Amino acid sequence: MQTVTAAISVTGLVKRYGDHQVVAGLDLEVQQGEVFAFLGKNGAGKTTTTEILEGYRTRDGGDVSVLGEDPATAGAAWRAKLGIVLQESRPLGALTVKETLRLFAAYFPNPHTVDDVIRLVGLEDQTNQRAGRLSGGQVRRLDVGIALIGRPQLVFLDEPTTGFDPDARRQFWDVISGLRDLGTTVFLTTHYMDEAQVLADRVAVLRDGKIAALGTPTELQALRGDVEIRFSLPPGIELAALPALSTQPRLTGGEVRVETTAPTADLAVLCSWAEARGLELPALTVERPTLEDVFLAISGETA
Amino acid sequence: MNMLVEQVRADLLAFSRRPETLFFTVFLPVIFLVLFEAIFGGQSVTLAGGDVIAQSYLQVPAFMVMGVISASFVALSITVVNRRETGIFKRVRGTPAPAWLLIAGQVVTSLVIAVLMVIVMLTLGSFAYGVRVDVGHLPWLVVGVLIGAMAFSCLGMMLAALTPSTEAAPPLANVVVLPLYFISGVFVPIESLPSWLGNIAAWLPVAPFVKVATWAYVPATTTPWRSLGLLVAWGIIGLVIASWRFRWTPRRN
Repeated sequence: MQTVTAAISVTGLVKRYGDHQVVAGLDLEVQQGEVFAFLGKNGAGKTTTTEILEGYRTRDGGDVSVLGEDPATAGAAWRAKLGIVLQESRPLGALTVKETLRLFAAYFPNPHTVDDVIRLVGLEDQTNQRAGRLSGGQVRRLDVGIALIGRPQLVFLDEPTTGFDPDARRQFWDVISGLRDLGTTVFLTTHYMDEAQVLADRVAVLRDGKIAALGTPTELQALRGDVEIRFSLPPGIELAALPALSTQPRLTGGEVRVETTAPTADLAVLCSWAEARGLELPALTVERPTLEDVFLAISGETA
Repeated sequence: MNMLVEQVRADLLAFSRRPETLFFTVFLPVIFLVLFEAIFGGQSVTLAGGDVIAQSYLQVPAFMVMGVISASFVALSITVVNRRETGIFKRVRGTPAPAWLLIAGQVVTSLVIAVLMVIVMLTLGSFAYGVRVDVGHLPWLVVGVLIGAMAFSCLGMMLAALTPSTEAAPPLANVVVLPLYFISGVFVPIESLPSWLGNIAAWLPVAPFVKVATWAYVPATTTPWRSLGLLVAWGIIGLVIASWRFRWTPRRN
């Protein structure tokens, strides 16, 4: 029987810059084949942690294992199993897409063909275009192509879609979903909640150098149980005239908001009250908090 | 080996597609030679030993040296700083490619360009200005240019390691090299300098290089062992400082 080891395993990771602890005892486990999203505000320690996992930075404490090796001492054979997209990096502007991928293919022992990778990242129409003349989204896709050329088992993507327009972002997501289908483990840092929600199997929210919340997108959403009922006040009705609900409703700009943990009961009271008076509740909506709201609640208030 | 071939191929391609480096490295020394020949080509110089020769015999090797230094020192340091600051080096360090590959790619590229510059200058000197290398000294010219180009590649790596940003790279390289051209017999014959200035220049790396190249054209002078030795010494100094201060990642993080 074969034991399945985690792709990434981190316990008690610490990194200091001077007196400041950027990473403060972080624990993390990413399974093989998983798409794992690492969320956090700027300065929460995302890039520092990622670059320690990639072997670029040293650590001040804790144990780290990436594909079974310690990144601080691992060699070329280990790097051949990784694909890395850095937060800030531009390919050589003077080389074409094809020339760039051909060069990087030469670095790896068992690379994909250049044409396969170009197809995978959707740059067929830019094959002979110089990297310096690609759009931002196309450059990022070339970046991912570079990361994929060596047939990696694990891909790191550090804020890959920052500055994208919605269309480019959606195309990029297709590329990442394609990776999941290939069985590649993906470690993604981002500050876009929708990105994590669409792509990730599990999400970790980082705050002050520690994991503040961890789970599937659905589990994280459930962390904040409140549901918000919203409607506009019917004409001629005051806020005080509403029936008693489980919590006090708030009035903002003519809109009534009821943040409740008992949405069914509150809705029943509201609806029968309105029906009895022959009123319609204009613009009635019931909303669960988005992952964005959860993220803001978890990472927003700095201690 | 395949890795190195691909690296040099890509580096040469990238070099040939950057008009500004191409201009400063390849065309500027040629333009200088053509202008200097137009102005001073007819004159002759009296050497220390008493021989009188056409000034072209000094000018052709001098601008050949300028071409080699442009390729191995100026262009190399600018390219290395650029690759470091744009994160390209950092990126490649995240692949299985060994560190020496990136250095070797740059050095071999600058050697190829240096050899091209020598061929251009040899041809131009021979056909346009009637200045020929003594056949017996041609191997010496090749050895001298290779040693000089290696030494200036090491010094270029040193400069790159000491340069803080992409913006600072071109002015810094030129600030170092232009005054050296003036006091080392490239723009002005070394005989017409005040002796104290000539004495300083003799210990700096450009003058010995000019001496080695000139020797191939003016064989009357003695074999420039001392100059070759100085070039090697400067190369070692460059290499030591470069490996002490070199970094792969951008300065800003």
